[in-house]
Amino acid sequence: MTIGDTVHLALRNLNQAKLRTVLTVLGVSIGIASLAGMVSLGVGLQDQFVGRFMKSGMFDAITVMSPQDRPGIMAGGMRGLGAGPRGVARARLDDDALRKFGALRRVKEVYPNLRVPVELKYEQFTEPYSATGVPMSARNEGAFQTFAYGTFFNNESENACLLSLDLAKQINEHDPHDLVGKQVRLTWIASSTAAAGAPSVPDNPMQLQHAEARYTVVGIVERQPGPGGLPGAALSGLMIPLARARDISAVDAGSLQSLFREPAQGRSYGSVTVKVTGPQFTEDVENQIKEMGFMAFSLNDALTGAKRAFIILDIVLSLIGSIALAVSSLGIVNTMVMSILERTREIGIMKAIGGSDDDIRRIFLVEASVIGCMGGVAGVALGWLVGRVINFGANVYIQSQGGPTGNLFSLPLWLVAGAIGFAFVVSLIAGSYPASRAARLDPIQALRHD
Amino acid sequence: MPALLETRDLKKHYRMGESTVRALDGVSIAVGQGEFIGLLGPSGSGKSTLLNLIAGLDRATEGSLRVFGDDLAQMSSDALSRHRQRNVGIVFQSFNLVSTMSAAENVALSMMFAGVARPERDRRAHELLEAMGLGGRERHRPPELSGGEQQRVAIARALANRPHLLLADEPTGNLDSRTSAEIMALLTELNERDGKTIMMVTHDAGLAQRYARRTVTLLDGTVVVGSNA
Repeated sequence: MTIGDTVHLALRNLNQAKLRTVLTVLGVSIGIASLAGMVSLGVGLQDQFVGRFMKSGMFDAITVMSPQDRPGIMAGGMRGLGAGPRGVARARLDDDALRKFGALRRVKEVYPNLRVPVELKYEQFTEPYSATGVPMSARNEGAFQTFAYGTFFNNESENACLLSLDLAKQINEHDPHDLVGKQVRLTWIASSTAAAGAPSVPDNPMQLQHAEARYTVVGIVERQPGPGGLPGAALSGLMIPLARARDISAVDAGSLQSLFREPAQGRSYGSVTVKVTGPQFTEDVENQIKEMGFMAFSLNDALTGAKRAFIILDIVLSLIGSIALAVSSLGIVNTMVMSILERTREIGIMKAIGGSDDDIRRIFLVEASVIGCMGGVAGVALGWLVGRVINFGANVYIQSQGGPTGNLFSLPLWLVAGAIGFAFVVSLIAGSYPASRAARLDPIQALRHD
Repeated sequence: MPALLETRDLKKHYRMGESTVRALDGVSIAVGQGEFIGLLGPSGSGKSTLLNLIAGLDRATEGSLRVFGDDLAQMSSDALSRHRQRNVGIVFQSFNLVSTMSAAENVALSMMFAGVARPERDRRAHELLEAMGLGGRERHRPPELSGGEQQRVAIARALANRPHLLLADEPTGNLDSRTSAEIMALLTELNERDGKTIMMVTHDAGLAQRYARRTVTLLDGTVVVGSNA
């Protein structure tokens, strides 16, 4: 008997008992819907969580420090920490090292994490502050995705700054947005050797003087950003273009200190951020940098842990979803057993005119799997629909609470295919007992059956 | 003429609770090609059991049963189903048509199991039903047909895979005398004109003697009279 004929007979049989077929399919679809819905919830939540963190720009970034500059706050608790292999010469985090990092595969960008001490003045407001150098590539990343007022820097070299909303409120409590477009004054201590236009006194690098510049406030960000890849470090509410920070730091006190330490060499940085092209490359690049003798760490380890937690969540959710599917698979067994009872005589006839045990088994297996596949397709559709409805309701609530909306349910193609495939497999398993029972029927007994 | 079928000391015993029923207790018969044999005997004599064994619907307890030299006792269940497809065609007292299928579909069903392709199945079903005098009734389902018509459909189905041996178990048992005569005439024609070997079980000795060329009478599972008509 050909496969086509088997399917034809099976479909004919299902069509004969339409109501029962429809009810059984409905049962399976509810089971699949609950399973697909649960997994889709797990995937959706993971996408929300992971996606948000990916956008934060923290997971494709590696923070590199030279071993001797290991700050105290990094001393414990952070994975991935540790100096390079013993015996490697103390690596200096200078421009040369930055170029080497930039030459590594999968590295998108390398920039120093510059924080320069300045005094911020605006009308009566005067406060010492640490200005963070922000690379132009940070546009639309992390805290710079949403601006309360204003925009990101236009170019790297302008005398522009961004403020955090908190800082802006400190300066102008009632109308922080008024600050956009206004100029603030930044003053810092500069050595006379480097301060532009200042008279040069080469034999006395210690000669210090105040430098001052006017910076236009171009934007105010809602959240205070952490410097990329350097969590736990003190945050700064004042941000200036990286190039400007570089200019200032070339002459700042901290830089002078490092000049004292190793006077023969050029400037070096406290920490550097290395951005890779994707979070999956973080570990590899991180290890290469460690081999060069630097300390390097990233948040990717934490993300891996979170992903593992989501896998467990997915398993738990799908187990809950499977309960309904288990019940509906019993529905398949029940339907098929009933069908065999009804069609006992027909099975006897089929055997008497040449149907083999395998022919009979296959007819019933195909019937069960057709029920399973239809239930799978209907179930995915149902699960999707229910997910949309719950998602809509949840987002209305989240919005009323002022939270960010998003898709709590995600139904990727693999889940659609997987759910239908799973329905197919479950129906085959459920159908195997009734099918072999039908195949084993004694034709003589079956023919006597009414 | 070579023996189409030969049984030797064929036994079929059933366990019924504590006791053993000897449905067949050592039957040895030989059937040549082209014969028309009437299997006679009262109910419980074992004639239907013998027919079921020959049809390959049941397995013997002991003894041998050879069809074209092959021993059915040695066959796998797949081989037995092929035997039912190709070697034998069965006609039952109660017709045993699938009531949800049309006459043509019923005839085509046995060819479906034999792996005949759809166009050929349809063509041959049409041809057979036409030959049975059921032209124009192919689309009717069994409940829409008279008893005689249903039995003609059943005979058409039995002939579909061109078997040498037709097994008929009380083929006229559910029919009135006029229709019975028509069906018997049809079977006789199949035997005489087409050379089909026919074994017909009946408890009606008159019917057997009128149509069969030879009768075998069973009683309590053994052959008591064998005759050549």
